[in-house]
Amino acid sequence: MINVRDLHKSYGANRLFEGVSFQVEKGEAVVLIGPSGSGKSTVLRCINGLETFDSGEITVAGIGLHSINRKRPMKEDAETIRRVRLKLGMVFQQFNLFPHMTVLQNVTEAPIRVLGMGRAEAIAQARDFLKKINLEGKAESYPAQLSGGEQQRVAIARALAMRPEAMLFDEPTSSLDPEMAGEVLSVIRKLVDEGMTTMIATHEMGFASEVAGRVIVFDKGSIIETGPPSQIFTSPKVLRTREFLNRVLGRF
Amino acid sequence: MSRLLKFLLLLAGIAAVIYMAAPSKPKESTLEKIKKRGYLLWGSDAEGGAPYAFPNPKNPSKLVGFEVDLAGAIARELGVKKAVQSQNAWDSLIPALERGDFDFAMNGIEITKKRMEHVLFSAPYYVYTEQLVVRRDDSSIKSVADLKGKKVGTLSGTVAQDILMGMRGVNVRIYSGQVEPYQDLALGRLDAVLLDLPIAAYYARPNPALKFAGPPVGEGLYAIAIRKNDTELKKRLDEILAKLYRTGELKRIYEKWGLWNSKQDKLAAFFKNSGAETLDESRSAPIKNFFPMLLKGAGVTVLISVSSMALAITLGLMLTLLRLYAGPPFDWLATGYIEIYRGTPLLIQLYILYYGLPNIGISLNPVMAAFLGLGMNYAAYESELYRAGINAVPFGQMEAALSLGMKRGLALKRVILPQAVKIALPGITNDFIALFKDSSLVSVIAMVELTKTYSMLAASTLRFFQLGIITALLYFGMSYPLSLLARRLEKKLKKDRR
Repeated sequence: MINVRDLHKSYGANRLFEGVSFQVEKGEAVVLIGPSGSGKSTVLRCINGLETFDSGEITVAGIGLHSINRKRPMKEDAETIRRVRLKLGMVFQQFNLFPHMTVLQNVTEAPIRVLGMGRAEAIAQARDFLKKINLEGKAESYPAQLSGGEQQRVAIARALAMRPEAMLFDEPTSSLDPEMAGEVLSVIRKLVDEGMTTMIATHEMGFASEVAGRVIVFDKGSIIETGPPSQIFTSPKVLRTREFLNRVLGRF
Repeated sequence: MSRLLKFLLLLAGIAAVIYMAAPSKPKESTLEKIKKRGYLLWGSDAEGGAPYAFPNPKNPSKLVGFEVDLAGAIARELGVKKAVQSQNAWDSLIPALERGDFDFAMNGIEITKKRMEHVLFSAPYYVYTEQLVVRRDDSSIKSVADLKGKKVGTLSGTVAQDILMGMRGVNVRIYSGQVEPYQDLALGRLDAVLLDLPIAAYYARPNPALKFAGPPVGEGLYAIAIRKNDTELKKRLDEILAKLYRTGELKRIYEKWGLWNSKQDKLAAFFKNSGAETLDESRSAPIKNFFPMLLKGAGVTVLISVSSMALAITLGLMLTLLRLYAGPPFDWLATGYIEIYRGTPLLIQLYILYYGLPNIGISLNPVMAAFLGLGMNYAAYESELYRAGINAVPFGQMEAALSLGMKRGLALKRVILPQAVKIALPGITNDFIALFKDSSLVSVIAMVELTKTYSMLAASTLRFFQLGIITALLYFGMSYPLSLLARRLEKKLKKDRR
């Protein structure tokens, strides 16, 4: 479903990726962990075409993003990136809801304007999604009237409304306090249980071990270890993985 | 960015419409045009004032003056119904005539060699002299010969100015209105004023603080200025002036205005009891007489401001989009436009649009020039406001919109601009109020709006204070509701941000 091969990217002398490769199968839930700045967020942004990369290849549902991701993409390239984005739902750390639209408008805007869905259908679908995240009562509220956790759940509903084939979560709970993070994580868990292909960059190790089919550990722009959570969290093979988990979990 | 292409096409369309709206070069002779039109259109500056052509204090929407009478007589002789005055700043009457704004110019225009290079002159209709005026208590200046080392005021572009400039050691102060020199003289800012006798007779003689010094000097001739190729019109005007002189009608007009045989001070007796408007009468006319004209001026001001603001807002938005998203060379073209328009005075831009473009064959009418001048200037400022607003929208908004599969244009329209406009709105309304007041600048390109109406009325009545307060109140009465409206709009838009 998502195929990343030999990804290289640098900012001047600063090397961000040095040959990152991995694959995500349909229905798989892959969790990316690693220290801040290790590249786990950036790789999600590369997949979604929000960041450029220098060399390597990214393929999403058969659409390739290898040679085109330059500063000023040509028209056809921009269209390719857009086709990739239509396959993917993206959820950001900062929610990025549209503040001038109500919750309902946030969820119906893209289906109507991008997919050309009928207004009535889009609204009916949005209400279904809002029900699923327990926010059907907030349809007419503006984002600023919601808590952080509620905003993030709306952001998930907004992405789902585009019927993506996979969901990318870029540290979805990092700016939330634990209680609100819980609401958001349970929504993500439900999605994974329903079989949605999912990539999650997160610092929530408990959640990662519980929801992940596979864990990928990033450090300094490389993948240092990958494996099922049972193995990564109990008996990591790589020293740096062990050190990282030590720091965040205070054990080993 | 096909949307941008559309914008550019639209711009080209606007340019085409403007070009077509511009008056085309005259093909038929002016004489034929007058006949066809049914009235005579003559150029003069009513702000130049009494006694040539100025708003009647009793009924300010009507012009009076000896040249108004003369124009009426000429129209009658030409066999048309009436003569209509076309307002134009005095020092640009000749360029406006060359542009074809009116049939001929008649406004105390002296025959000079320099002017003869540009226009044809009719036979002279008045022999003027220059009159020196000093303060009543000043006995040190008895004639033009005593002016060495003195501060002497006169009008820009007059023969009096040439006389003064030709004398050594005189400190010449140039004015653009004929009232101000006498005011400054009375206040002691000047030692003397040298101006055409008709002006001195109207403005200086009734002033008890001033007196005439010495005999008139520098005889010269007023004549009607005609476009170079209008020889036919010139011939006809010469015949008419000769007839008016023969029949004594010319004399009657001048007698009515106290100007006949004007080298003699004793002719002032005619001036008093002639039935013509005098300065004393203008001063005592009830102030409400001036309201209709001021209100009409205010209407023109509103029209110009609203339409040019609409242009500024749309053009400004295009500039911002070009600058931020179009890529080279459009981005630097837009940046260049903005910097040039912000870095040069609006007044110069207006002059170039109205008086400069005809040199290269593009002649805009005053309304179009004012609309374009103000709108294109303010577009540069609006564009910067939009840019600041767009930059203030968090980058994550664009990313979120793109990741939902929106194209850049759609994301801009639906997500970024609505938020950016909200941020820019206080600045935009502020600019609208500023533009509203800046619209007074278009009076230099022959638009008779509120400020121009004020200065015309004030110059002929000397009621600068009362009329000034009323005019200022009119401006305030229009701009204050605007700020209230803006505040309400801001509050309403803020709601969803809470």
